[in-house]
Amino acid sequence: MADVLSVQALSKQYGATIALRGVDLGIRRGEVHAILGENGAGKSTLVKLLSGVVEPDGGSLSLDGAPYRPASIRDARRMGVSTAFQELSLVPDLTVAENMLLPKVSTGRFWPESLASIIRRGRDLLERFDVHDIPADAVVSDLSLAQRQRIEITRALSHARRLLVLDEPTAALPDTGWLFSQIRRATGDGVGVLYISHRLSEVREICGRATVLRNGSSIGTVALEGVDDAGIFSMMVGHRPEAEKRTALRPNKGAEVLLETRNLRGGLLKGVDLSLHAGEIVGVAGLEGQGQQALLRLVGGAMRPGGGEIIVGGAKAMLTSPQKAQRTPPGIVFVPEERKTEGIFDTLTAAANIALAEFATGGRERLVNGRAERLLARQSAERVSLSPRYLDFEVGNLSGGNQQKVLLARALMTGARILVLFDPARGVDVGTKQSIYQMMRHFAELGGAILFYSSELPELVQLSSRCLVLYDGRLAAEVPQEALSEARLLAAAHGHGERPTNDLRMAV
Amino acid sequence: MTNQLAMSTAPHSRRLPNLKVLAESALLIVLIYAVMAVVYVSVQPSALSPYAIEALLNNSLPLMLAAAGATFVILQGGFDLSVAGIISLVNVVIAVMPVDGPLGALANLGVALSIGIAVGAVNGFLVAGLRIQAIAATLATMIVCQGAALLILGAPGGYVPDFMVYDLTGSVFGVPVALVIILAVIALWSLYRRTDAGRNLLAVGQDRKAAGLSGINVERTEFFSFVWAGAFYALAAYMLAAQTSTGSPSAGEPFLLLSFAAVALGGTAFGGGRGGVTASLFGAATLTLMQKVLFALGVSSFYTGVIQGLIMILAVLFAAAVRYAVRSRRVA
Amino acid sequence: MTGPHPAAELSDTAAKDTRTAQKVSSTTVAVLAIYGLVAVLILASRAVSPSLGGLSQIETVFYLSAFLVFCAFGQGLVILVRGLDLSIASMITLGAILSTTLMGGSNDGLLYLVPAILLVCAMVGVVSGIGITFFAIPPFIMTMAVGIIVYSLCLGVTGGTPRGFPSPMLREFMQDRFVGIPSPVWLLGLFVILGTVLQGYSSLGRKLTAVGNNPAAAHVAGLSARRLTILAYAISAACAGFTGILLAAYSNGATLRMGDAYLLPSIAAVVVGGSSILGGRGSFLGTVGGALLLTTLSTILSALGIGQGWKTITEGLVILAALILLRDEVFTALQTRFRRTA
Repeated sequence: MADVLSVQALSKQYGATIALRGVDLGIRRGEVHAILGENGAGKSTLVKLLSGVVEPDGGSLSLDGAPYRPASIRDARRMGVSTAFQELSLVPDLTVAENMLLPKVSTGRFWPESLASIIRRGRDLLERFDVHDIPADAVVSDLSLAQRQRIEITRALSHARRLLVLDEPTAALPDTGWLFSQIRRATGDGVGVLYISHRLSEVREICGRATVLRNGSSIGTVALEGVDDAGIFSMMVGHRPEAEKRTALRPNKGAEVLLETRNLRGGLLKGVDLSLHAGEIVGVAGLEGQGQQALLRLVGGAMRPGGGEIIVGGAKAMLTSPQKAQRTPPGIVFVPEERKTEGIFDTLTAAANIALAEFATGGRERLVNGRAERLLARQSAERVSLSPRYLDFEVGNLSGGNQQKVLLARALMTGARILVLFDPARGVDVGTKQSIYQMMRHFAELGGAILFYSSELPELVQLSSRCLVLYDGRLAAEVPQEALSEARLLAAAHGHGERPTNDLRMAV
Repeated sequence: MTNQLAMSTAPHSRRLPNLKVLAESALLIVLIYAVMAVVYVSVQPSALSPYAIEALLNNSLPLMLAAAGATFVILQGGFDLSVAGIISLVNVVIAVMPVDGPLGALANLGVALSIGIAVGAVNGFLVAGLRIQAIAATLATMIVCQGAALLILGAPGGYVPDFMVYDLTGSVFGVPVALVIILAVIALWSLYRRTDAGRNLLAVGQDRKAAGLSGINVERTEFFSFVWAGAFYALAAYMLAAQTSTGSPSAGEPFLLLSFAAVALGGTAFGGGRGGVTASLFGAATLTLMQKVLFALGVSSFYTGVIQGLIMILAVLFAAAVRYAVRSRRVA
Repeated sequence: MTGPHPAAELSDTAAKDTRTAQKVSSTTVAVLAIYGLVAVLILASRAVSPSLGGLSQIETVFYLSAFLVFCAFGQGLVILVRGLDLSIASMITLGAILSTTLMGGSNDGLLYLVPAILLVCAMVGVVSGIGITFFAIPPFIMTMAVGIIVYSLCLGVTGGTPRGFPSPMLREFMQDRFVGIPSPVWLLGLFVILGTVLQGYSSLGRKLTAVGNNPAAAHVAGLSARRLTILAYAISAACAGFTGILLAAYSNGATLRMGDAYLLPSIAAVVVGGSSILGGRGSFLGTVGGALLLTTLSTILSALGIGQGWKTITEGLVILAALILLRDEVFTALQTRFRRTA
């Protein structure tokens, strides 16, 4: 079968940074083709090149045999290529219908089309792609993340005549049913689909072949049926990953209590009692929106409580700011979920990002330069296995995994004994995950305590000394280490041991 | 291999028209203006005479037009300091043009608009094309325009056609010309914001990146916001010349800060995405009226600045408080 | 600098990131370019007029740029934390008027009056900062309003004509020489060193940069973003007040519109010096370069005896040229060019 898209020796460079060094791949008509690779392997650059956001420096692209060199998103769409972006490209204060039709919303030639008519057309489009539960006249900022993602995908579907690019389309979706049926319909019409996802199980379900990227180059294209997960991983990272060992720490109930909460409320959290002992890693599990975000932010001082108490180091504490939390002995440090918006300082070097913790907690002002910061940062960087040569990079130029390491190193730098981590290994590559797990275990072994939430059950099972399961803003269960299993957590996450419902992915 | 614990529990969209409309339209500033007008009339009953109304409108018009222009740029998230330069330049050009009569006034208008649009296009090219920070680029063009104004007319003076001075500041069929212009601008804006260009302007201001990924030509949108702004500044300078009947190379200077104050008073967000031209028109009118009220109340002219400054701060706080109320109701 | 690497070597280790950190940042190049431009301008001016291009002109440039540098430092800090200070003109006027009325032409109390005036100015800056941080008023509006209020108070209290004279000691200081160099130039040197250390080589500078780069992240990282922002406005107001005191001493009296000539140039000096108007990036040495450039230009144009109109136009065009040449894109293009030829 003829390729709808063929890519040869594609390369792209941003200033001194080489993002793509040579990518070859071909997507057949009606095929769902996966792109696999660690963070920083070049997937997002490939998406940008295909969708016309940036132009390549070298190599060639062709679409149905004809040269393809889109100068803009509109250009790409005109040639039948459209993209659902990972970061969701919807304009917040416009209606769903307007967003669906951007940038040419109004059909009126001499007089602008009425909003009612625009909404009618938007509704028709939604209906065409089986979206029945999102009103076309709703304002996007009022929608949930999952709803926005579906609008993003629907818009891409409506423009895709030859190639549909889906970048992490399921990141916020509760289930894949709707998406996969739409993809199958599109491929039935002969559209090629480029599918990017971190979730291998999902990739195996919908994709036929996969091209693996590593370090900006394509390593090869494989038929997914003929290769096992370990084989794919070894292509992605260049070596076979070590078998995941379960090496959680023994719980130590007799140890010193570092932190307690009593009937803690705020946001979606409706009252939680917990205690955190020295030397343990307490996992928090829950479906999205059960109050875990509030719990971690409250304990980290990043949110004001609506009621209840937090007791730190034996004394009642008012954690009015992250700074206050860090300064309340034995010290609490919070690493948020949003790396870009709440984590990194992108134009500062990695060393400056890490060393900042020293300046934030240390009271006296002092003189610093790049070398001083490097010396300060080096030890913490080692604890998260961040290569010292990255210390001089601007953090904005590092991969997501290394940015996360920088954030964790900064947290360690504060010297706090309580770490509060929100999904610390989300969206980072396998190698970085292992470094983060190792750091967490080591931290607890040295007498620190960790409270962490994770959206991935295996991670919770593997790391936790015990696991708290939240449901509807309350503690639904506390699962001790002996009883930890994914099935047990999943059941508790749905409230009291019910069977998991179908809209949860059971991927294993 | 991963059991994803992701499930949407977010509530369905709910829209709250009343407060939201109040917070995000021109209604709020219109109310403030009305209150101030009532105060003004109660201290100075003669303010209701047709002559006084006409004079007030004429006084307010240049700042209103300048603020309307600034709004276009601010809505897309930009900044335009060139207002002072363009107004000075156009003002002196009109004062040295040797034309008269209605046709002369028309010629003046054409020249004024061409200058405004040309400088606006330069701004747009610098910002959208060369990606120079808007404040810096428009600062430079402002200075160049001021220099050019000095070259053309070294000191205040010149000659403004009688037709402009008398007919354009008078009334037609009992309706002040200034009012006609204001209504025309409001009508133009209400139409424009419903076109694709107007929608894109606000979309770029709300989320530049999302707008770009949605296929909106962000650079083009930015570029034309500066062009619109330049045209409105030119119109402001034109009406200013008609009102003062002379040209001055520093005519634009007072407009620099006041036009931004007017936009802010109207509730248009600095940073873009929210607000509108109508609100800015009333913001500007409120500023002008405020001076009259303070004068009528007998506040020493030395201290009017204190009250002006305080009212600017309070107006912004008040608008923020209403928006806050809207948001907390939405969350609840 | 490493060149492009051969694609895809299959190694046993995890994918290697072969980039190296850029040794010379674009900011450094921009700063050097600005100083180069100043030097070229001064040398070239010799061709225009024999009285120019010599040491005396350099001295004049340093002397006159001192006022701009003092207030541009504060402006730079405020811009660094994503703000803008439009109250600078009024604060210069306030500093000047306070110093002439309080000192009244006498040296008594000079030692405590100067700090007291700076403190008063700083407090006004704190008010701006509080409005911006705690009440979320846009910096543009808040500082403009505060500026209008302060100016109006100055106008009201002085009745339109400020009286009094600066302390004679300050006047002498402005005219004195030390080791053959005017003492204000020494003061400028000291100020530049202190400012550079504060902004670029101190923990405070790092914290301000972090707040400007990402306020939300700064809060989570445990910085008091609000307090730091308020501090920037306080420093800016105090610097403007300081400029006012010196200007009053220089011109032997205060006028109400004394500060007007410094507001826009203070912003221009910062952005021409390579700082981002969006905050989080900038160096004080760049700002100093920007101020020197603007001052050099203005002295040369004055010496040429051309009209105010041409002078203003040239100033605007030079700012524009600097902005166009000092863009990141230009550096990137140059870098790639050099790498290819190397």
